[in-house]
Amino acid sequence: MDYKYIEQLLERYWQCETTLEEEQILHSFFKQHDVPEHLQQYADLFSYESEAAQECLSDDFKQRMLDMVDEEPAVEAKTIKFVSRITPLFKAAAVVAIALTIGNVAERTMQDNSVGDNAGAPSIADTYTRTEDITATIHIIDRNQSESMAKADTVQVDDITRR
Amino acid sequence: MKEISFKNDILPLGDKLYRLALRITCNKQEAEDVVQDTLIKLWEGREKLKEVDNLTVYAMTVCRNQALDHNAKHENKNISLEDSGVDGFDNQHMPDERLIYNQRYEIINELINRMPEKQRTVIQLRDIEGRNYQEISLMMNISLADVKVTLFRARQQLKEQLKKQKNGL
Repeated sequence: MDYKYIEQLLERYWQCETTLEEEQILHSFFKQHDVPEHLQQYADLFSYESEAAQECLSDDFKQRMLDMVDEEPAVEAKTIKFVSRITPLFKAAAVVAIALTIGNVAERTMQDNSVGDNAGAPSIADTYTRTEDITATIHIIDRNQSESMAKADTVQVDDITRR
Repeated sequence: MKEISFKNDILPLGDKLYRLALRITCNKQEAEDVVQDTLIKLWEGREKLKEVDNLTVYAMTVCRNQALDHNAKHENKNISLEDSGVDGFDNQHMPDERLIYNQRYEIINELINRMPEKQRTVIQLRDIEGRNYQEISLMMNISLADVKVTLFRARQQLKEQLKKQKNGL
């Protein structure tokens, strides 16, 4: 097998001219078992480097770190709580503000209406300017009502006598 | 940027930091101490982390500084290289092939750990962690040219040592 490419890469590796990708190729090459005799001396270095990259902390250590930092998120949660504690106050203030605005607007509208009356603008009240008119109307309504009631009574009496 | 989570953002960097700290302190226990200090420091300064472009690069920088501080404090202990490297192996109950492999692993580990800190850190970051030159220059706070020169010297030294070993065998 021809190892020219690998030898070339190696030569450039010692000169620090290889890219990270080319160095990855060298690592992969030396990971395999049948490395030729004349390159064997470098196999240890590259396989050591691959192996050393796997070294990691024990789970025990990581758990200890998590336990150690466990207290901290509570402090963080408090900050959020403080903000959320204030939010209802903002809400209450907003409700009060809305109520006041509506009250204010309503009051103004009513004031506007009375001003309109004084200015002589046409309104329902104008329909009945004279008291006689009003009394007459009431009389008419009254008469109609008593007539219809009397009618209803006779109908009722008729019904009973028929039975 | 979103809130920094210890479990999801900081702790997963632990292994990388540990390998770097182990390379600088050459001692597992001390490396763990350095990683612990680094993780706590990152967590306490998490507000600042939101503005960091590359969290890994930043974390590695903090870790290296912690490890160098640690080395300076424990200088007397660190002179001896006897305790260095992988000390967790139980060599007595190991199949031969695995034993030989571990011995070879040990030899290379020793070769790298005997280099000056700057050189072994560059080897760690480039050849083991696979970081690019730009990142390494940021992590080590040195120029790009300095990274390349340091790496060149480190690799040349390894090449020489490997040749010597081959001739010696």
